[in-house]
Amino acid sequence: MIEAERVSKRYGSTLAVDDLSFTVSDGQVTGFLGPNGSGKSTTMRMIVGLDAPSSGHITVGGRNYAELRFPLHEVGALLDANAAHPGRTARNHLLWLADSNMIARARVDEVLGRVGLSDVAHRRTGDFSLGMGQRLGIAAALLGDPGTLIFDEPINGLDPEGILWVRQLLRSLAQEGRTVLVSSHLMGEMALTADHLIVIGRGRLLASGSVAEFIERSSGHHTHAQTPDAAALSTLLQQKGATVSADGAQGLSITGMESRDVGITAAAAGLTLYELSTQRASLEEAFMELTREHADFRASAGVTGGAG
Amino acid sequence: MSQIVRPPDDASVAPPSTSGRPSLGRVFLAATRSEFTKLRTVRSTVWALIFTVVTIVGIGPLLTALELSRWDKRTATEINGFDALLYSFAGINLAQLSIGVLGVLMMTSEYGAGAIKLTFGATPQRGLVLGAKVVTFSVVVAVVTFFSCLSAFLITQALLAPKHVGLSISDAGVFRAVLGGAVHLVLIGAIAVCVGAALRRTAGAVAVLFAVLLVIPGLVALLPSPWNNTITQYLPSSAGVAMSAVVQFPNLLSPAGGFFVLCGYTALLLLLAAVMLRRRDA
Repeated sequence: MIEAERVSKRYGSTLAVDDLSFTVSDGQVTGFLGPNGSGKSTTMRMIVGLDAPSSGHITVGGRNYAELRFPLHEVGALLDANAAHPGRTARNHLLWLADSNMIARARVDEVLGRVGLSDVAHRRTGDFSLGMGQRLGIAAALLGDPGTLIFDEPINGLDPEGILWVRQLLRSLAQEGRTVLVSSHLMGEMALTADHLIVIGRGRLLASGSVAEFIERSSGHHTHAQTPDAAALSTLLQQKGATVSADGAQGLSITGMESRDVGITAAAAGLTLYELSTQRASLEEAFMELTREHADFRASAGVTGGAG
Repeated sequence: MSQIVRPPDDASVAPPSTSGRPSLGRVFLAATRSEFTKLRTVRSTVWALIFTVVTIVGIGPLLTALELSRWDKRTATEINGFDALLYSFAGINLAQLSIGVLGVLMMTSEYGAGAIKLTFGATPQRGLVLGAKVVTFSVVVAVVTFFSCLSAFLITQALLAPKHVGLSISDAGVFRAVLGGAVHLVLIGAIAVCVGAALRRTAGAVAVLFAVLLVIPGLVALLPSPWNNTITQYLPSSAGVAMSAVVQFPNLLSPAGGFFVLCGYTALLLLLAAVMLRRRDA
């Protein structure tokens, strides 16, 4: 269990993390989402004690990471796939890490096998591809068999097979009861992997909830109706508390009412419906919607779309 | 708080101490083992140490051999004043550089590669990490340079034996001087680790170290007398050289004085580096 309580982090005049609170629970995969530069990595660095919060505090399993002794037995983290001396072999890289926490050296070969790097164990990490680096980073995180795992963008640089492998690994780690926090800027990927989502933008918490709830709440979720009696149906639905807006000459966009109830209302009034459908925003759209105002870097012309 | 339920894993990864928290001593011991593994698994270590051995064992005897080839042209006064020890340890000055660079790399190579995140993630007690690095490196440097200095001394004296100007290891102060040569390099190495920790970048740290060891002594020598001599004897390189002398030079501290001055610099930099490591984000 990871708990952040009103955490802020300031670098000079930049507020990288702004009054952020969240909880990451055991036994599920929690996706940590946000556009680039939204403070995900900074938050993860604070969880493992590399950066100190300017205010607030973060605990892992109820304790401050900096107070842990031999923390690899409790928390494993992949923060940077390239964080290895390029001249050292993969096996030696894990050996020094194992030594630092008195982990038996046999465990090194075990995790190398688990991430599929046994064949290149004696190759220097400077010759590794980004994908192999990610696998080595994951092996390092698994080394101490920790109950909490933190992965910063673990699928970067992986091929489709590797992505599938990471997805299954994260799921199985969570099924074993571990706390798994994984960051990504890819909503679609998180929809397939995570049970719970924490969404941040510009260092602030934008949303936190289950993946299903997240889709439900997003503004893109609405009912679409086509009817020759648009004005009459609109009035009726509004009387029942729905929010209705025109969508073309005969179209209505309805929120605040399920499509089933729209159909019942129309039938009771004898109004004809050509079409009645539930429009679900894709997670990607929901994410864009949520973070639009909080993205640090974006192509200004592309978003407004009116320039051409 | 929910209990984590998961299948029993390999016993090899069970926390080493079943009775509560591991002691800080164990954390330090593990960090030292880890640092030794790091040190022996990169090629730069091997190359720097080979360079160190070659310079210490090679330069002294080489200069001695050159001197001997022109021995007939020496006056009696020159032969009387010949310092057999000075020639033995002529390579130490250059060895300061390879030991210095290797010491700097102990810290800066980790910052360069980003591995420092793993190091501090594995051992959040950053002061202990610095201590482990300094201790590990010091032991390695002590062993390598002691035997190098001893070899340089023995080879040089063997070369000088026919001229009867050499010294024996059992002569007064000689063994202490051999030890002093090694301690000089150990302390320079420790200082280098601290400079690396404080500056984090290889280029910057090496530049500062070389400036202190090479450039500043040259500049100080140009100061008006007696400032030049007074300041020079307190510079790290001069304090180090004083430790491997038997005959005390006029512009140098005593061997013990040199030792304490260099230890003082080391302690000061250790403190500074430890404070900086703890205060800064990694």
